Amino acid sequence: MFFGGWQHASEKAILHIDGDSFFANCEIAVNPALKGRPVVTGRERGIASAMSYEAKKAGVTRGMVIGEVLKRCPTAVVLPSDYETYSLFSRRMYAIVRRYTSEVEEYSIDECFADITGLRRPLKMTYVEIAKRIQWELSRELGITFSVGLAPNKVLAKVASRRLKPEPGGFTVIHQRDIRAHLATLPVEKIWGIGSQASALLGKHGVYTAGAFAAKDQHWVQQHLAKPYQEIWRELNGEFIYALNQEEAHTYQSISKTKTFSPASTSPDVVYAQLAKNIANACIKARRHSLLARRVAFFLKTQEFTYHGYDLTLTHSAATPEAILALLRPAFHQVFQARTRYRATGVVLMDLTPSDIQQPDLFGGMVQVERMQRIYAGVDKMAEKYGKHAVLPGSALPAMQMKNSGRDPAHLARREGMRFRGETARQRIGVPLLGEVR
Amino acid sequence: MSERAKHKISQFYRTHRRMPSYAELAKLLGYKSKNAAVKIARKLEDARILTRDSVGKLIPGKLFGDARVLGVVEAGFPSPAEEELVDTMSLDDYLIEHKEATYLLKVKGDSMIEAGIREGDMVLVERGRTARNNDIVIAEVDGGWTMKYFRKRGSEVWLEPANHTMKPIRPKEGLTIAAVVRAVIRKY
Repeated sequence: MFFGGWQHASEKAILHIDGDSFFANCEIAVNPALKGRPVVTGRERGIASAMSYEAKKAGVTRGMVIGEVLKRCPTAVVLPSDYETYSLFSRRMYAIVRRYTSEVEEYSIDECFADITGLRRPLKMTYVEIAKRIQWELSRELGITFSVGLAPNKVLAKVASRRLKPEPGGFTVIHQRDIRAHLATLPVEKIWGIGSQASALLGKHGVYTAGAFAAKDQHWVQQHLAKPYQEIWRELNGEFIYALNQEEAHTYQSISKTKTFSPASTSPDVVYAQLAKNIANACIKARRHSLLARRVAFFLKTQEFTYHGYDLTLTHSAATPEAILALLRPAFHQVFQARTRYRATGVVLMDLTPSDIQQPDLFGGMVQVERMQRIYAGVDKMAEKYGKHAVLPGSALPAMQMKNSGRDPAHLARREGMRFRGETARQRIGVPLLGEVR
Repeated sequence: MSERAKHKISQFYRTHRRMPSYAELAKLLGYKSKNAAVKIARKLEDARILTRDSVGKLIPGKLFGDARVLGVVEAGFPSPAEEELVDTMSLDDYLIEHKEATYLLKVKGDSMIEAGIREGDMVLVERGRTARNNDIVIAEVDGGWTMKYFRKRGSEVWLEPANHTMKPIRPKEGLTIAAVVRAVIRKY
């Protein structure tokens, strides 16, 4: 019997499934008016968080400031991120893949690995047929395309799924016997897990392609490289090393708070106070959902409607304003420009994890974070009794005397502006909304 | 004597799903005083037909024969109502058959008014389902969603509104059916 490259029953068959331009394509899937147009998400942060195939072709890249996006691609449709909808699509993606195998690693909001080893007989399909079937069901039910790679391990599956990008909906198989051909011209830094330092080191030894790296002998690899890179080398040679991590530790939602204030201000204290208040409010919401944030993005919006922002990673996940403000203050002074009039600030908490599975660290930095967390348990109790802002970081105080004109409507995700009777700002039905129908 | 008492008590248990109090037991057996009921209860207790729980209340012992004793004491009576619960479904299950393929839409306008679908109604639709003749479908027309009856005769297909003041849509080029309507919800 011909198994399509998988000769032995014990040989692993790993899938990498990657949503094409995921956020942008979720927007298109719920709004047909966007089809074929360059769509960019991230308006509320002033930075492109995802872009459709058409926007990529026009030169828009991830992290580009929105002003620059519109310069390169004046027809771009720039939308505020709608994480509520993206995470609904994400959960559906995992659920569809799990129809075929329970061994699924939820790698990120738009990617997953799946182990389909040993399913040929029960499903009466080849591995290629199973992979294509999953890909087809995903696009049929979600209305967005996925790139799929099938290979003997995770590193190669990831190479395979990227093979045809940016072309959407690609499908690539890497068999044991043609690994070399797939790696021959691939730059070594494109390999999952090889960062700029490792690729610089390899470059010094004349290794620029994944193929050249894979062709090095074991002795050389053991002498020159640390263990993680030895493992990558073994996977590039077709061995199965990296098991699938099947814990569901992430939630892919984020928490954002944005407020426009009047009058617009040139004072750093006033603008900082506004930002601090948004952070305090975002932290209240995080604690209400028992979540801790690892990444924080903030932005300042000027009177001229330009955005300036910054993306920060915390050393320890936290949900208290103190932990975030300590890191954010220097960044704020880098972003804030004198003699510029600001009218809005915003903050997004990302990489949220449930607060009960926090990992203690080696160096005791957690102690401080935990102490603040305990203090804030008390703060939340007082807020229950005396109202929302009973206790507030001092730096946020000047903002309490100012008028806020609420959330900037331009930052409102489409779903938030379209409610059914009985839905509230906090609670909506957990089914994606396609919008209005005539 | 104790046979009759046992029978009466088990009858009482079957109808009330609990043990009788001493007063009730006295009445049940035709005694004038509670004291007599206490005595007969002790007798039944000695015979292990009745026992007591941790707070001293009477509970059935071998009241229903040996085989059932354990089950009765440990798990209580299986009530018919509990068995029925297994066969009910939530409104979610009833309305949503294929969870991953189901989406919401909000109705605008009155093109389906004669099918009883009004502005503001919530429509549950299933993506990727093959439309059959006379289904209500969601089609993509001019960059927007439209909800109409799907009609098919031979090779001819068209969309028909449920509103006699509106005309059917006959597509010149292909018709993109995005989803099929599975339920309409209206909350008052």
